[in-house]
Amino acid sequence: MLSLRGRHNAILAIVLTALAVLYIGWKITQSPEQALQFTFNGLAVGAVYALLAMGFTLVYSTVWFFDLYYGAAAALGAYGVFYLRSHDTLGGRYEVNEPILNILFAVVTAGVVAWSFHTSFGSRLRSRLNTTGVRIVALLIGAAAGVYMGFVLSFPKDIHTVLSPAVGVLVAVAVVWVLHTIYRSVLPRTTTIPVLVVGAVAGVALGVYCAVAVYGSPDWGLYLTWGISCLLAGIVGLALYRGLYVYMRERARSPLVMLVATLGILLAITAFTTIIFQSAPRPLPDAFGSTPWKIAGANIKGFNVFTIGVALVGFVFLLFLLKMTSFGKAVRAIGDDEEVSKVVGINTTVVIAVVFFIGAIYAAAAGVLSGHDTAIQPRMGLLLLLKGWIASVVGGIGNMYGAIVGGFVLGLIEQFGIWDLAGEWKDAISFVLLILFLSFWPNGLLPRK
Amino acid sequence: MNRQLFRDFATLFRDPRIFWQTARGNVQLWANLFVIAWAIGFMLWQGVGFAITVGTVFAIWAILAVSLNLVVGFTGLLSVGHIGFFGIGAYAMAILTSNPEYEQLRTEAIPTFAWPFFAALPVSVLAAGLVAIVVGVVFNRFRDDIYVLVSFGFAIISFNVFLNWRGFTRGAFGIHEIARPDIGGWVFDGELDFLIFVLVCLAIIMLISWFIVTSSFGRVLTAIREDEQAIEVFGYQVTQYKLAIWVISAMMAGLAGGLFSSWTSFIDPFSFILLESILLISIVILGGLATIWGSLLGAMTFVLLEEGMRFLPFMPVEYIGQARQVVLGILLVLLMLFRPQGLVGRYRL
Amino acid sequence: MTRSEERGVRKERSEAATIVRPELVEGSSADHHDFVLETSEISKHFGAVRAVDQLSISIPRTGMTSIVGPNGSGKSTLVNLLSGTLPLDGGIVIIDGVGLRVVRAHETPGHGITRTFQEVRLFDQISVWDNILVVLTERHPFRALMERGKQSHREKAQNILENVGMWEKRDSLAMDLSYGQRKLLEIGRAMALEVHTYLFDEPFAGLFPQMLEQVKDIMRLMRDEGRSIIFISHNMDIVRELTDHLIVLDSGRLLAEGDVTEVLASDEVIQAYLGT
Repeated sequence: MLSLRGRHNAILAIVLTALAVLYIGWKITQSPEQALQFTFNGLAVGAVYALLAMGFTLVYSTVWFFDLYYGAAAALGAYGVFYLRSHDTLGGRYEVNEPILNILFAVVTAGVVAWSFHTSFGSRLRSRLNTTGVRIVALLIGAAAGVYMGFVLSFPKDIHTVLSPAVGVLVAVAVVWVLHTIYRSVLPRTTTIPVLVVGAVAGVALGVYCAVAVYGSPDWGLYLTWGISCLLAGIVGLALYRGLYVYMRERARSPLVMLVATLGILLAITAFTTIIFQSAPRPLPDAFGSTPWKIAGANIKGFNVFTIGVALVGFVFLLFLLKMTSFGKAVRAIGDDEEVSKVVGINTTVVIAVVFFIGAIYAAAAGVLSGHDTAIQPRMGLLLLLKGWIASVVGGIGNMYGAIVGGFVLGLIEQFGIWDLAGEWKDAISFVLLILFLSFWPNGLLPRK
Repeated sequence: MNRQLFRDFATLFRDPRIFWQTARGNVQLWANLFVIAWAIGFMLWQGVGFAITVGTVFAIWAILAVSLNLVVGFTGLLSVGHIGFFGIGAYAMAILTSNPEYEQLRTEAIPTFAWPFFAALPVSVLAAGLVAIVVGVVFNRFRDDIYVLVSFGFAIISFNVFLNWRGFTRGAFGIHEIARPDIGGWVFDGELDFLIFVLVCLAIIMLISWFIVTSSFGRVLTAIREDEQAIEVFGYQVTQYKLAIWVISAMMAGLAGGLFSSWTSFIDPFSFILLESILLISIVILGGLATIWGSLLGAMTFVLLEEGMRFLPFMPVEYIGQARQVVLGILLVLLMLFRPQGLVGRYRL
Repeated sequence: MTRSEERGVRKERSEAATIVRPELVEGSSADHHDFVLETSEISKHFGAVRAVDQLSISIPRTGMTSIVGPNGSGKSTLVNLLSGTLPLDGGIVIIDGVGLRVVRAHETPGHGITRTFQEVRLFDQISVWDNILVVLTERHPFRALMERGKQSHREKAQNILENVGMWEKRDSLAMDLSYGQRKLLEIGRAMALEVHTYLFDEPFAGLFPQMLEQVKDIMRLMRDEGRSIIFISHNMDIVRELTDHLIVLDSGRLLAEGDVTEVLASDEVIQAYLGT
């Protein structure tokens, strides 16, 4: 017997989807150029949402509470770029460089680096040094990193000069690491000394080349700034986790406590940003030139293509991290059961700290990308946070594929929605979409198993 | 409500020594004493005019906070969208009472009615209540984290409506010349008259809330907050209760909105942004969940924070609002760490 | 609980509630006056797991019935289905002669059923006193709004708190009680509701011997008042001592049902459950 009992939700959902598809189809027949334009815009916006949703999902599916610092991280990323490039923006009219801020971030960096060094290498060093010695070494390394960060922040005009050695070292290490990993996976049981030697030579050569290249070219300033401001947002995220969330989670009765506390953090950071940068919208400097390409009647901006690319690369990287590495295994284990993971010997504090670091970097990247696309203002953090949250719910919470799908779906629907409505309604559109989704697909498009 | 607190105050006046022994470590008592002393100190220092302005702001925030506490503290629905109902009340009042002659001078005319204040106030309340019924029916299916997200959505959608429905709200230009209360020719035009009127409203709201909270209905609300499934097994239709308290709370917020727009006599959508809603929930949590007195205390602290910062020598005037937000944010974090029920609250989040 | 419920979305329950005349239900007993609670082929799936699978049982009007079975055999799920805490996937529940395709939790007291939970679910942050009172007061929202502190309710609550020995603790929060006290209070809370059938989900788990006796006494008292008591237990000594009617479940299916001595003597049960 065909029974419709309990299926009216599914039927309504199908009807709604059909209506949406029909609407879009009708729009396409009306004006294909504009449809292409809106699709492209939707993909560009969706890429930002997807980035947000990915980081958000990563954090949420590990610790199972909503970290609203995430929104502040997006704003921090965008304002970091503004802060470091303020001499380049609008002819330097809003140039800011506060020594107090530089010192603050330097100290936070020092603390985070010291802690990271101590927890990852402390036990290995302990065979040669006593506890105090290890601590002193960690503090020294942290202090060095902090001073370096302070220098970077204090001389934003010469960021390419200051950062060139770091770029060189990073490239060298990356080359060695990649070669070593590949070698290990091809020939697992042989000695790695030859590849280390080759890698070191190649890495140093490439590193020196990159450092020299960066040293001489101020054009690199903006790209380095992106890296630095994302890194800073990540460092702050890690510091918040280690310095605050760890203790709070021990006491919290429910995830709502964490939610309210992180809401407080968001509130404070947003207000702090407003005090330093004022509440008026500010532009970020042009990234890849502002002349759009004309393709089939649609204006395609190079930066938007870059945004979509970043989202895809970010997705692949996250998938690689979660599926291929032991770190990913640890993350999934903690997501399933934190207590058990602790018992089987996973250092949950470190793994979750790294998760927060990566999550905040994704948020900051999204903030930077959307800031270059439109403009930045302090309250963008809250709005981007909500968009990322919605995208992850729409896609299916806790599922990485769902996050990227949800992001692009949200972006597309938002853009097609403002075709007939005015653009101001787009926030309302996304929330209506959220409520529809929660009503008809409470588990999202791709539910977590 | 806080019987213990009254007892503590009584001992303070009877015998300071015993008071000192019992009061050590009693956060509730010290929070109360501190805020009240702060308020009195400010009043003495700044004079009556200051007290009138601040008092009105306080009373409106307090009505909002008490109404939100019914939902958040007593029923356990962490709603961050309450400012929407406040806005609906305010806009209903503004549209119904704004002066037609003035409005015709504007470029974008909106329908005006020039109703008297007391005819428009019930409409403000009812409008908020009607919207709340629709919103409440949709929201009843959500819980916990998702409830927070969806209530964010309500705040954003209502702000969008205020901002973009220009034929009705005149968008960002706002509505001017909103009527003050008057009865039979006697207009509450002075600030003091209005303060008294608002305080009376606050008292009525507190009485109603007290009536709700101490009834069997209130007890069921707290049980819903603790365990929705368990209370359902004992024969309560949870959705009805949640909807009822949601609508009542929204109507109170609508009343606050009507008072607010009459007091400022000009409103624009930017008084009803999401941030204000977050501030509101911070007030409720700061003061104390599931106590009516706590919401008053929270609103008082909030208002005094702003006024207190005005006199800090190193604080430029334009940053006061932001500085207050920073303080409030940090306070929220500290509260969640050490005192998740707020200063005098009876429900730990 | 499904994942979606966990994260705050309540699933829409099917609205097509139908009351079925039990005479028409295939396989149900002809004489419904003997049985207070029957099920006809009820099922519940969690994904691929069949927690309760086509289960048909009958519970007599008086006396004590216990449900036993190994872990994961669907005992708690059965209680959740009977009390409407979980929606049925199929089948009919017949309560006191009324057949239900959909058991709604808030309607179960009206049908004459109440329950306790396996993981004690009190209203943690309200007082012991209010925990009992909330069960006694008015159900209808608007009448509840007008009702405050009825004398009859207070007397009843006092009576119950004295019965479970917690009158002195009436002003403390439920979350501050010890585990045993919480368990007792939950039983007291169920007792406050005057219905004909009580479902107790593991009332004896984790109790000290002294409290165990107290719970047993309370249950005997209720039985002697002519109420039907259904409980889940792992403790076979208690089951032998108290029960008249025994239901043995295994992986969601009925293994045996009937008089306690007969069932416990049957080879099937001994082999599958008690044998080793």
